[in-house]
Amino acid sequence: MADDQPTKRPDDESGANMGWTAVGYLLAGMAVWGFVGWLIDRWLGWHGIATATGAVLGTAGGIYLVFRKLGG
Amino acid sequence: MDVTAVLAADTPFPPSVEDIFTPGIGGSVWLTKFSLMVWFAVALLIVFFLVAYRKPQLVPTRTQWLAESAYGFVREGVTREVIGAEGVRFAPYLATLFCFLFVTNIFGVIPPLQVSPNSHIAFPIVLAVVSWVLFIYLGIRRHGLLKYLKINLIPDAPVALLPLLIPIEFFSTFILRPITLSLRLFANMFAGHMLLLVFTLGGFTLLGASNIALKGVSLLSFAMAIILTLFELVVAVLQAYVFVILTASYVQGALASDH
Repeated sequence: MADDQPTKRPDDESGANMGWTAVGYLLAGMAVWGFVGWLIDRWLGWHGIATATGAVLGTAGGIYLVFRKLGG
Repeated sequence: MDVTAVLAADTPFPPSVEDIFTPGIGGSVWLTKFSLMVWFAVALLIVFFLVAYRKPQLVPTRTQWLAESAYGFVREGVTREVIGAEGVRFAPYLATLFCFLFVTNIFGVIPPLQVSPNSHIAFPIVLAVVSWVLFIYLGIRRHGLLKYLKINLIPDAPVALLPLLIPIEFFSTFILRPITLSLRLFANMFAGHMLLLVFTLGGFTLLGASNIALKGVSLLSFAMAIILTLFELVVAVLQAYVFVILTASYVQGALASDH
């Protein structure tokens, strides 16, 4: 059954697989928080400050997740 | 320019959208070159596997050997490798997916067809949505909705960071996966088609040029078209493999107990 299978660790996966996971997180971070920032910009009329902040924060979050999931 | 004279025969130059995505046969929306190719691929696979397994022998015939190695490759090389022993029950689906993608991708370099149905975004989208529904369904059935969401959305991180990370996890797992799955296949097949088109039409254009040196360069262009055709053959196999292995890895992720 499933339980006697050794659980796959992320580093068992192929390099390409890890690459796509990493790219996915980075893109997702940028896109999600950039979009939230863009909405705030539109709402408060901040001319892009929130978009930029959001994208940077999101990228930071994405990088954090990449380290958490793929780094050791 | 006398280029047009040479090309006038019936090579459309420059090619328009309708030359690649030909309009439906007899004005029909559903009966297009692409949908016909998909039906053809389905028929081809059904007939091939029926014939191959009609009278299975211990020492396989060549057709049986081919069918067995295709299935065996997906079963051992993809399913067992990525999902583990439990994954063998997905081998039939993944093997079907692999063979279907392989055949439809290879259409891109088969002379009378010359284009893969997968270079139309609609076809990769449907396949990606099937994989997407499959892994979400499996995950929810295995863990229950709440636990499944918890596993996928809440990373092992300080609580203060969670509001930042949860939307990223959600977006990358549930939104980005089907998009990248379909776009990767579509873009690879479409770009391959474009490349072949550029070098083949480029060859004809150069051949029609008045300058003798340019005529010579057309040889280079045709040579590139041939090399890229072989390259496309590799891409066709590779993209079928990548699609299947990613689907398998999503299924594995949905079934895994910890993350």
